[in-house]
Amino acid sequence: MTRPSIPLGLVFSRSGPYAMMGREMEKSALMAVDEVNQSEEFDFIFTPHLRDPGGVVPAYHTACDDLIRETKTEHIVGCYTSASRKMVIPIVERTERLLWHPARYEGFESSDNVIYVGAAPNHTVVPLVRHMLEHIASDVFCAGSNYVWTWETNRVLREIVTSAGGRILAERLLELGETAVDHIVSEIIERRPPAVFNTLVGESSYAFMRALHEASARVGLSIPMLSCSLCEPELKMIGAAASVGCVTSSAYFESVGGAENHAFVARWKARHGADSVVSVDSQSTYVCVMLLARAIRRAGSTAVTAVRRAAANHRYDSPQGPVWVDPDNNHCFLTPRLARSVPGCQFRIFWEADAPERPDPYLSNLDLAAIGEKLVKRIDAVGKRPTHLRVVK
Amino acid sequence: MKDEREIPVLRRQLHRLGMSVTEADPEQIIDRKIAVDVIILDADSFSIESDATTALMADVPVIALIGTETPSRLKWLLELRPASFLIKPLRSAGLYTALVVAFDCTLRRIEAAAHIEKLQDRIRSRRVVFNAVLRLMRAHALSEEDAFKLIRRTAMRHRTTIEQLSADIVARGGMPNRGSRTA
Repeated sequence: MTRPSIPLGLVFSRSGPYAMMGREMEKSALMAVDEVNQSEEFDFIFTPHLRDPGGVVPAYHTACDDLIRETKTEHIVGCYTSASRKMVIPIVERTERLLWHPARYEGFESSDNVIYVGAAPNHTVVPLVRHMLEHIASDVFCAGSNYVWTWETNRVLREIVTSAGGRILAERLLELGETAVDHIVSEIIERRPPAVFNTLVGESSYAFMRALHEASARVGLSIPMLSCSLCEPELKMIGAAASVGCVTSSAYFESVGGAENHAFVARWKARHGADSVVSVDSQSTYVCVMLLARAIRRAGSTAVTAVRRAAANHRYDSPQGPVWVDPDNNHCFLTPRLARSVPGCQFRIFWEADAPERPDPYLSNLDLAAIGEKLVKRIDAVGKRPTHLRVVK
Repeated sequence: MKDEREIPVLRRQLHRLGMSVTEADPEQIIDRKIAVDVIILDADSFSIESDATTALMADVPVIALIGTETPSRLKWLLELRPASFLIKPLRSAGLYTALVVAFDCTLRRIEAAAHIEKLQDRIRSRRVVFNAVLRLMRAHALSEEDAFKLIRRTAMRHRTTIEQLSADIVARGGMPNRGSRTA
């Protein structure tokens, strides 16, 4: 018996400035499609339709417009940057389609026609900053790429840090793709901040981590670095020595425990080679396709309204652990994790939430007072109090 | 402007409203002193590091086109004091309302600024009025209340302000001649 075919749009940039991530995500989507198509559990197959916007923002609009017209697809998995997603939202809203969005982003958005499978800011930046305040330092030096992800992540960082009595020592921004990092590295070596918060992306980040590692080694310094975007394939590109020791926040690392992830990583390596690595974004792309397939099966239809309703609160035991869509804001319940990059281009997880956390794209439930209180306790325990915290006796 | 897709929608709609359009790159807008009635700018095309207040010309209403609603972007936007805004993507509807609101908002802002200026002038000339009252009290042996009444009455007759007449009194050392009018 032949199973009916459902068209599925895949929009990833295989060329252009973030082609590496685009290719990884597309590979993962196709792997998930093959698994659905080979599985007896689904009474349909996906026919993937690939589009490559080449990292050009307006091309995402054209690609989706074309997909919807030509293939009549009701569901699109794809996009990576916020700029590309903002380009696609008007079309999916106008034509009542669903965009399944794998990447983490800075929040402050909630479209009825997007299922946000990547992490919201409460999953990434908040636990990272909390960890920094409790265990590393309350003063921090920020280096980032000059665009919306950095601006918003740094704003959240500043809000939490200053409310806890800490300081942002500096905020240095580089244009996207810029690899001239020496002036920032020199400033860090000179000022010796207790922590560096890195929101640089792509080549800028790799150049920065290499240069800072080299300069620190020369003067015998070791400054803790924090990131909420670093992933396994990037560790490879940065190089063995410079990529080690970065405290990273993410909902997924290849080293996540559990049978689901072990099996997933094994299937991934069997398909893409023993030396290939899974990243948070490729795993999330896989989860997008699986959430969609399950929702279609549950709804018995591909119609957007029915699929959205079927996806809501429907738990899927994914490689990253249990995941489900919160119908309040179309973002996902995910498990935040903190890890340290270790030799071998891997992350060692040292903290994870007890249960998947409700997505909070507008950070409306961010409890600054609770974070500040905990910090004061820590400082008390150490027997030292920052002078700008007034002591009332 | 930068968002290529929004420009044709804007052009078409502004043309229908009988307006002429000059396009400028976000980087140039600060330097160019072109005479315009309203500036429509794509907020997403500026770095939030750029100084928002230098981007606008005094008394020219700014309509901001907004794509990203993150607090960091909105904080930058507030510095710009936009007279109105539109959410991207643009549609044919909405621009007319944004223009009407922007012009009205700017007019009110200019009127409010002028009113504040006038009030500040009045506060500044309080010393002069006090000085004039004192002079008249001494010269004509009047009570403070009567001296002030005299100034107010004379100012009304001369169709000038209390502040202006007081300045004349202080300058001349006494009440100016009847009939003479100050501008």
